[in-house]
Amino acid sequence: MMGRLHRCGRMLASTRLTLVGMVLLAVGAGLSYGNPVTTSVWVLVTPLGLLSLNLFAAILVQPRINRRGGLLMFHIGLLSIVVLAALGRLTYYEAHIELLSGESFDPANVIEPRQGPWHMGELDEVEFVQGPYTVEYGSALKRGPTRSYLALPDGSGGWREEVVGDDTPLVLKGYRFYTSFNKGFAPILSWTPTGGVPVTGSVHMPAYPLFEYKQDNSWTPPGGSEIKFWLRLDTGYTEESAWVLDGRQASGVLIVNSGEQRLELQLGDEVALAGGRLRYEALNSWLGYKIFYDPTLKWLFFAAILGVVGLARHYWSKFDALSAAASLDSASPTTEKVVNR
Amino acid sequence: MSEATELPWLWAGLSAYAVATILAFRGVVILAKTSAISPPVRSNERLLLLLLVSGVLLLAMALGVRWERLGHGPFINLYELLASQLFSLGLIFALVYWRVPALRTSAVVVMPLIWLLGSWVLMLEPSDSHFPPTYNNNWLWVHVGFGKVFLSFCLVAAGLAGIILLRGVPGLGRWFAHMSDAALDQMAWRFMMLALVFDSLMLIAGAVWAQDAWGRYWQWDALETSAFMTWLSIGAGIHARLSYKIPVRVGALVILAIFGLAFVTYFGTPYFSEAAHKGVV
Ligand code: HEM
Repeated sequence: MMGRLHRCGRMLASTRLTLVGMVLLAVGAGLSYGNPVTTSVWVLVTPLGLLSLNLFAAILVQPRINRRGGLLMFHIGLLSIVVLAALGRLTYYEAHIELLSGESFDPANVIEPRQGPWHMGELDEVEFVQGPYTVEYGSALKRGPTRSYLALPDGSGGWREEVVGDDTPLVLKGYRFYTSFNKGFAPILSWTPTGGVPVTGSVHMPAYPLFEYKQDNSWTPPGGSEIKFWLRLDTGYTEESAWVLDGRQASGVLIVNSGEQRLELQLGDEVALAGGRLRYEALNSWLGYKIFYDPTLKWLFFAAILGVVGLARHYWSKFDALSAAASLDSASPTTEKVVNR
Repeated sequence: MSEATELPWLWAGLSAYAVATILAFRGVVILAKTSAISPPVRSNERLLLLLLVSGVLLLAMALGVRWERLGHGPFINLYELLASQLFSLGLIFALVYWRVPALRTSAVVVMPLIWLLGSWVLMLEPSDSHFPPTYNNNWLWVHVGFGKVFLSFCLVAAGLAGIILLRGVPGLGRWFAHMSDAALDQMAWRFMMLALVFDSLMLIAGAVWAQDAWGRYWQWDALETSAFMTWLSIGAGIHARLSYKIPVRVGALVILAIFGLAFVTYFGTPYFSEAAHKGVV
């Protein structure tokens, strides 16, 4: 019984199996290129599972690996990366959000949320308010730094400011908020249905300046008919020279199409449309964020560093031993025996 | 259009590399005649090293002039990537050439491989590039730095693998008679092992940077997929040697294949993915 178990372990620990696993992993990586939706995650999970089992068995039974500190450290690093990456996929959270200047973060407004089955984060407890933001552009619309000004609770009832953008995310409760290139304008509108109470909301126009040529959107008010909006913006943008996108400096005329009516609204204008009255209250701007949560990030980094340090150590001592052997060899002129070292 | 003021430096650097390449061939011809490391061989090697170092310095000037003009390093378009690799491959090969005399004949393979990049860069428009905001990150340096060492060690291994194969060509054996196949094989794989260490470091730094810049550490974009395959193929090559008695020539072919994969990762992916990484917009 024990003998059979041992044989099984030896087979599972075989470095020939490692090669099979590696080839399968390469195939899986090739199939995963570009994250196609049709490719199952199993093309990666299967070879990684096989390699992990193989490696685990080797660490247990192969003295060639478990008696050599550096090599052992390297392979444990590899195994840890696989385990951590798997944990990461089980606990991750990803979403997008578009925040208006002055708007508080509300998890109910996230777009396309995706999460692992074990995700237990506390997005509900994340609290901050989006302030203004600026994006610098060079000539020919070359995007430079993004600066987004946020207000965060300071823990003693007040607020503190934090500036994020590009490579610097906002990190709260483990959630990382990255500014994206996706941002634009949003007219703030009030709608007073005939005989009803007014409601105020915003219409997010397409990303700017990416869709500078089509700043339009539509909305159907409750009890009314569809209204089409077109925003004619003045942001100071020119192709030729550097420019800063700053919602506070921008203004825009809102062109409203409802049925046969076509009207141009300046800030503060109010018009009567079928089913109610529409008022153009303000011009605001929104900024898109990518939200990312993965509690394993730090550990993955440590595991990877542990791995390379182990590998470096292994080769250091191996090459040292080989050069010592080589100098001995050259001292006594025997035949060469440098195979597979 | 650009005013590529660095071009004269680039041409000068490449000219130095060109002469170094001729000297590499001259070296093996002398070696074949004298059949030992003789004084003429040594002086040829010294001259070659001098030219290589001059080429490296001239290319450093080319990169510096461009850097000064554009205000950012050579990290963005293919022209810049090729030019900076020409510099770093030359630099690291010069160091190895100086410190490890036994592999000097491999210059007859290494220099033509460097020329693949050299002739390519001459065909490209040296257009100005834009530095994306996400590149303002210290990990860029770590990532690029380790990547350069990795590719250079891969190149050295490929040079040695090339010699192993050339020795088998009738008539050329005399050029490389100073070392045995086994010793060449061992040295080539040692450089591959070192390459694996630096490749791993490059991948780690790249993942940290990607997390900062694009909010994800790994996404199987063209470059990441290709880079992972390269890393895995080195691991597989090393493991195959451990598990099977692989003939030296087959091992040499494996090394050249790995170098080919690394080459495609660095210089091929910009062709089928519009920016070096997909996240760059
Ligand atoms: C896929 C990732 C892997 C990579 C990149 C990798 C890489 C390496 C490297 C670089 C060495 C050192 C070889 C030398 O000193 O020349 C090594 C040795 C070894 N590896 Fe792996 N390895 C991987 C996975 C595995 C797995 C899954 C196993 C499971 C059996 C394994 C078992 C071994 C053993 C037993 C040795 C020592 C062999 C010897 O020197 O006799 N490795 N590996």
